[in-house]
Amino acid sequence: MRLQLNEPAAPIKSRLRAAVCVLLATGLPGVARAEGSTQLDSSVLLYGERDRADVVEPTVRVTRTRANGQSISVGLVYDVITGASPTGALPSGQVQTTTSASGQVTTVPAGAIPTTTFQDKRYALDGEVRLPLTSLLASTFAAHYSSEKDYSSLGASTKLSYDLDQRRITVTAGAAFDRDDVFPVGGTPLGLTDGSGALDSDSQPKHIASGLLGVARVVSRRWLLSLTGTRAREDGYLTEPYKVVSTVDATSGETVGQLTENRPDERTRNSVLAGSVTAIGADVLHVSYRYYWDDWSLESHTADLMYRHDVSDHSWIQPHLRWYAQNPASFYTTGLAAGAPLPAFASSDYRLGPLRTMTVGMSFGFRVAASAGEWTIRPEYIRQSLASSRAHEEEEDGPPEPGDDGLTQSAVAASAPAVELPPLDILSLVVAYSRHF
Amino acid sequence: MVHAGDAWVGRFRAMANPCEVLVDADDEADAAAPIAIARAEAERIEAKFSRYRSDSVVGRIHAAGGRPVEVDEETAQLLDYASELHRLSEGRFDITSGVLRRAWTFDGGSRVPSEADLAAVLPLVGWTKATWRERTLTLPPGMEIDLGGIGKEYAVDRAAALARAASDRAVLVNFGGDLFASGLRKGDRPWTVGVDDPESPGGAPLLALEIGRGGLATSGNARRFVRAGGRRLGHILDPTTGWPVEGAPRSVTVLAASCLEAGTYATLASLRGAGAGAFLEAEGVRHWIF
Repeated sequence: MRLQLNEPAAPIKSRLRAAVCVLLATGLPGVARAEGSTQLDSSVLLYGERDRADVVEPTVRVTRTRANGQSISVGLVYDVITGASPTGALPSGQVQTTTSASGQVTTVPAGAIPTTTFQDKRYALDGEVRLPLTSLLASTFAAHYSSEKDYSSLGASTKLSYDLDQRRITVTAGAAFDRDDVFPVGGTPLGLTDGSGALDSDSQPKHIASGLLGVARVVSRRWLLSLTGTRAREDGYLTEPYKVVSTVDATSGETVGQLTENRPDERTRNSVLAGSVTAIGADVLHVSYRYYWDDWSLESHTADLMYRHDVSDHSWIQPHLRWYAQNPASFYTTGLAAGAPLPAFASSDYRLGPLRTMTVGMSFGFRVAASAGEWTIRPEYIRQSLASSRAHEEEEDGPPEPGDDGLTQSAVAASAPAVELPPLDILSLVVAYSRHF
Repeated sequence: MVHAGDAWVGRFRAMANPCEVLVDADDEADAAAPIAIARAEAERIEAKFSRYRSDSVVGRIHAAGGRPVEVDEETAQLLDYASELHRLSEGRFDITSGVLRRAWTFDGGSRVPSEADLAAVLPLVGWTKATWRERTLTLPPGMEIDLGGIGKEYAVDRAAALARAASDRAVLVNFGGDLFASGLRKGDRPWTVGVDDPESPGGAPLLALEIGRGGLATSGNARRFVRAGGRRLGHILDPTTGWPVEGAPRSVTVLAASCLEAGTYATLASLRGAGAGAFLEAEGVRHWIF
């Protein structure tokens, strides 16, 4: 057999078409901006949970982009939260009282979910610098600081992104470090006690180191896919100082007392996010799915769907649906059996429970004049509920036993009352305004 | 702006060619914006990439005298594209080959450059001699680049997209015979485009094509040739030899999804000389060769 040297060249169609798509897709439809620009983004968030917390959060951000692609951005957030947050204690047949480390005493009517009332103000400041190192390699450096009455957070992050394959593929890698401090009002309560004792130090540190790796790929001129994985390691004081766990009489099922909650002091969190952006005619469809898991056995799924439609040259609408479901942390419990040996860790914080969230929203964007800035109004309705605690208990039936990781798997008293916590209705409204200068 | 047939037409000159923008509108007012936008885009691209202007990006690169020049994003995209075409065509498509025109005069006469003439310019040809890394281009002194081979088609696609974004009417952008139609006209009627006879441009078209959405481009110019040794040599030059490509068709017309793709195919086919038809057949591209 002879080696054929003059084979016809393989068709170049796919590579040529890809090159054409990259050239024509980038920068369209706008004309490349010749000089630098400044963008102002501002918004006000109004958030209300029925009978619970209300949040008012104004934000402002200024971004200056230079012609060479360098940009610097500074943002300021201020928020005021008022209202009530569930303590974690169970509703009770009797009048219940909650006492906080600050000496605050709350009396809860029979049958109601015990909450702790609060008013908190928080401000946060962040800055970000983006530096294109070459036309294909860009770096981003960011830092933030936030402070409120009993919590502060300081962090820095960096990100590198690199374009490959004629810019059809962007690979991003990042790392972030945070140092948080919790200083509960009146001192830090000891975990799983009646709250009367306090830890020696008033300030409890918490460290977070996280890494990110992402790939985005232009599949075609009208379709972009992305995949991002993150891993974060937390250590330090991870307990919520004001949350409690009810103790329940094993025979009567009555709530007889409450203990401060206690969580492990280490946590490794992982997530994978897959997203797709598709242009359908002039409309844009965003679909994403996120899977999250950590070594507290918490696991969650988030599916998100957005569809943008331009109503006219100056206005658009974007319906938005999000569905969220999580399996509880291994030490999540609705209540502990009174008198039984205490587990190492326990929390009744609904955020570690079998939480389900459904969000339905709609964004409206419009410009009053072609040259003016853009207004966005985004109302959202959120329904938050806990999956039936009965089902949860059945899964975790049997005597409490220490797990492989040393954590007590379940401290749920088999006789703990089957709690039907009512779903929580939340309304939120964002009014935002952005413009270029 | 004139009302020709049943569409409004804006005519102007840009990139050394007659240009037309057709808008499927009844009212002149509806046609004004897309025509103005398409024209502004043609003029922007011409000003930015013209090799005749010292203040253009290309002028700046030529003035660098061997020093590296950092270019903006759009230029980088075009250079990436040109670089990819150089690879795909195994060196036949080369944006540095423009200096060969100093040696050749395609005026229908018989003046052919001497070996010495060619030897003087050939060292200045070859994309592989340039260093194109990330956003920085370094050309050896004396070398030049010419984005004319892709710039006009790129301008057509961009102008059409911008015009279409500014209007809900179907538009057809035609810059010097390279064109893009944005979609069917009212009543689902296609645009009708004539393909000129290369021997008598402006005369009766050889065929009429109906296009809804797509790009159409033609390579070749029957009046730009030189006679040598009894042969008629077209103006398509092979950058590896410095000589015109043997057997290049007088006219290659390609229909594709975009004007850029059509124009690139037409150019790459011409560079294959007598193999133009076989190349386009193998690629499965709709084409007409004369």
